[in-house]
Amino acid sequence: MIRAKELRTKICSGEVKSADVVKECFSCIKETDPKVKAFLKLNETSALLQAQQVDKNENKKYGLLEGVPIAIKDNIMIKDESMTSASKYLEHYISPYDATVIEKLKDAGAVFVGRTNMDEFAMGGSTENSAYQKTANPWNIHYIPGGSSGGSAAAVSAGMVPFALGSDTGGSIRQPAGFCGIVGYKPSYGLISRYGACALASSFDQIGTLTKNVLDAALLTSAIAGKDYRDPVCQPNDWIDYTSTLNDVNILKTLKIGIPKQLFDYKTDLEITKYFNEAVSKLKTENVQIVEIDIPAYKYVPALYKVIMCAEVSANIATFDGIRYGYRSPNGVSLNDQYSKSRSESLGYEVKKRILFGTYVLGAKNYHRCYHQAQKVRTLLINQITQAYKECDFIFTPATLQMPIKFRETLSEECDIFLTAANLTGLCGITVPCSFTANGMPMGVHFMGSRFSDAKLFAVANAFEKISGFDIDKYPTI
Amino acid sequence: MTTYETVIGLEVHMQINTKSKVFCECSTQFGAEPNINTCVICTSQPGAIPILNKKAVESIIKTGLALDFTINKKCTFARKQYFYPDVPKNYQITQSEPPLCSKGKLAINIDGKNKVINITRIHLEEDAGKLVHEIGSRKLDYSLLDLNRASVGLMELVTEPELSSPEEAFEFLTELKSIVTYLGTSECSMEEGKMRCDVNVSIRPLGQREFGTRIEIKNINSMTGVKEAIAYEVQRQKEVLGSGGKLAQETRLWEAQEGITKSMRSKEGALDYRYFPEPDLVPLNLPDSFVEELQKQLPELPKAKKQRFVKEYFLSDYDASYLTSNIHLADFYEETLNNSKDKKLSAKPLANWISTELSAKLNATKIDISHSPVSSKSLAKLVDLILNNTISGKIAKTVFEDMYEKSADPELIVKEKGLVQISDESEIIKICQEAIAESPKAVAEFKAGKERAVGALVGLVMKKSKGKANPQLVNKILLEQLKA
Repeated sequence: MIRAKELRTKICSGEVKSADVVKECFSCIKETDPKVKAFLKLNETSALLQAQQVDKNENKKYGLLEGVPIAIKDNIMIKDESMTSASKYLEHYISPYDATVIEKLKDAGAVFVGRTNMDEFAMGGSTENSAYQKTANPWNIHYIPGGSSGGSAAAVSAGMVPFALGSDTGGSIRQPAGFCGIVGYKPSYGLISRYGACALASSFDQIGTLTKNVLDAALLTSAIAGKDYRDPVCQPNDWIDYTSTLNDVNILKTLKIGIPKQLFDYKTDLEITKYFNEAVSKLKTENVQIVEIDIPAYKYVPALYKVIMCAEVSANIATFDGIRYGYRSPNGVSLNDQYSKSRSESLGYEVKKRILFGTYVLGAKNYHRCYHQAQKVRTLLINQITQAYKECDFIFTPATLQMPIKFRETLSEECDIFLTAANLTGLCGITVPCSFTANGMPMGVHFMGSRFSDAKLFAVANAFEKISGFDIDKYPTI
Repeated sequence: MTTYETVIGLEVHMQINTKSKVFCECSTQFGAEPNINTCVICTSQPGAIPILNKKAVESIIKTGLALDFTINKKCTFARKQYFYPDVPKNYQITQSEPPLCSKGKLAINIDGKNKVINITRIHLEEDAGKLVHEIGSRKLDYSLLDLNRASVGLMELVTEPELSSPEEAFEFLTELKSIVTYLGTSECSMEEGKMRCDVNVSIRPLGQREFGTRIEIKNINSMTGVKEAIAYEVQRQKEVLGSGGKLAQETRLWEAQEGITKSMRSKEGALDYRYFPEPDLVPLNLPDSFVEELQKQLPELPKAKKQRFVKEYFLSDYDASYLTSNIHLADFYEETLNNSKDKKLSAKPLANWISTELSAKLNATKIDISHSPVSSKSLAKLVDLILNNTISGKIAKTVFEDMYEKSADPELIVKEKGLVQISDESEIIKICQEAIAESPKAVAEFKAGKERAVGALVGLVMKKSKGKANPQLVNKILLEQLKA
């Protein structure tokens, strides 16, 4: 599988046919997906048809992603297609409209290959919470791919598609990208419209990209970012070509990178520490200035994320009541019984747990003690991070503090805290693979930039990619 | 026996008069086919996000400005959570603290005296849909859901507990409705559910400072219902306390047909709405100029209009109050006046025609002034015809009947029916002479000093002329001839 950017150029010049690319995708999917199980649904017929249209190119228009295949996480709305969010509740739901990002992808000429697996309603970090199937890590199918965008990460990592869309509420793109050895990008809050992405926690949700390399992340972002009146939090920025700043060869020379001293407070896999230190040395070799920054509020990240996220979940998931669409229990004997049975029979354990927790923290007796307190601590975290950016341009950490685990094992609560911090503060973050560990699994590092420094974030990540020594053209053998 | 004092506070919901709903682009049209005015947002499909209707915010601010409110240019939205099928998200987007408008007031007139009622707040929220339990007269053993009304914008106004009788509550609502319809920010029709009112009522022994136990009454569907429900509830509370009983804080429903309130839920059963800030909408941060611009757009309000009518048209206080009680009535009056040949002369008779003949007809046929079958143009013509002596006031009333029934032009009616007044003196003299000749008894009485006897003669002349003789001329000529 070649890079999306190259594919697009070759498809537009006629050197490569989109239909052939799509066929290649499906042959790879047929070979590897029975083992990986990244896809919940495939659109082979319609994808081929769409590719053939591109190849005819009757309207002589070349979209930004003309003819390039893409996989979409199953929580983003595509008109007239199913959208399950990997929940039994939405098993037979057909989307009545296109998400803004889908509209933009259609305009850009992308070809939709299929829908990828995820944790139910994006709640989880292993994709094991899918109501339908478990997705494997392509580098070792006994390990989890991470989550919640585990299907998208696995599909890209295994070379089934050049890139995919995911959503990131607390690390859901960047963590699986790190686990699967690809690039995972979460934009600044408000850079990409959320309209049409099934809501988890509205304050933190962002759609983002999973790609083999930084250039493709920048390309895909250029196609889907930008103002949208249908999402009030979406910023009215003008269109930016995020690929245009990637060639700044001098960017590392003047760069100041901050490493939080809190990183050393947490139990971290030895190999992660080792390869992270190597990555830091490589940056130093490029004359990057490394500074230590102090953000004591990092220690509150797991707790305050849990409180605010669950509070919003409890309200957002309330709409799934079996009244207008979705699963309706045949056993209800009264309105309340109907609600209760429809939800308890169709929602998974993790979803129920979060609804209960969120309902609790918003209760009249707990609101001030829990929810309000969490919002105050969130402000504290934002202030401390803002302060830290006075001393550095980007904050640099390992993507995760743990390597992927086997199915049914549990990750520590702190595993993703440096990713989640970006969601809590609305900042942009990108994970870039940096090394393979002894057992052949990849690991990644994470750059976090201030809000709307996304263009520069891509440039820095791109520069790091070139010096990381990680072979991005290597694919797992499955 | 203890004398009690009544304490009343109102919560008034008014549907904001905008073309589209408050958080989506669907139409707010009333009475449309079920679920026609719905979209992915107001039916809460996955991934849908509310978008705030700026016009709705403007309407609330205008209302706030007209009622002397402080406008909170920085404010947020909140989610109020409860499960009910007519609330598709199972939470309602509303405002907690601060609301768009804080601390307003409205003066009401009670027994000729002004009383100022303080209003706590006005906030923006979205309406719920409707559950339908019957089709026509057929009761269903299931419920149908109509989401046309879901997410239509509402302004909720909450008063301080400062009203002290059913009449004051009624007067407050009447005055509020008048101002809001002047502003055009809500149609305020309780019949169409565009204005709804919940009432908080308590009683306390006269002189006691602490409030009594508060009872909330819901489900009131008319202005008179508000009055009746309060009167009933005050009486009920007095009886409970009088018989040594205790009141418990609760919500009761007004059953209009039976004329009673029934317990709906106790305080213990009160819901925990689990409010929290709405993350899908950005907090409002309005520039000063936004509010200043709306201030400039405020129309003339009822009080100012009334004063102007008195000053400009020399109307009585009573007439001016009546005409300005409703913006459509006031507009109709001024339009009619503008169509009159002589504004100065027409002002008073027009006010009379509107407040008596036209109003009586409209009330009897339950038609709103804005749909009056008699146009402002024809009413102006009718009064012109009286003023230029073409017809008499009495004839005018029969012409008016035709105008109302057939929406016809008064000049045409007068022409077709030959109703033009006889003002030709020689012709009237002729008829008067006939009448005198035919009524020797009345003539004798008159000559004996009984001046009232002339009335019988006038009646006869009018009868002979089929009501067309100019009554002033008839009077004058008869007197001349009798005295001659």
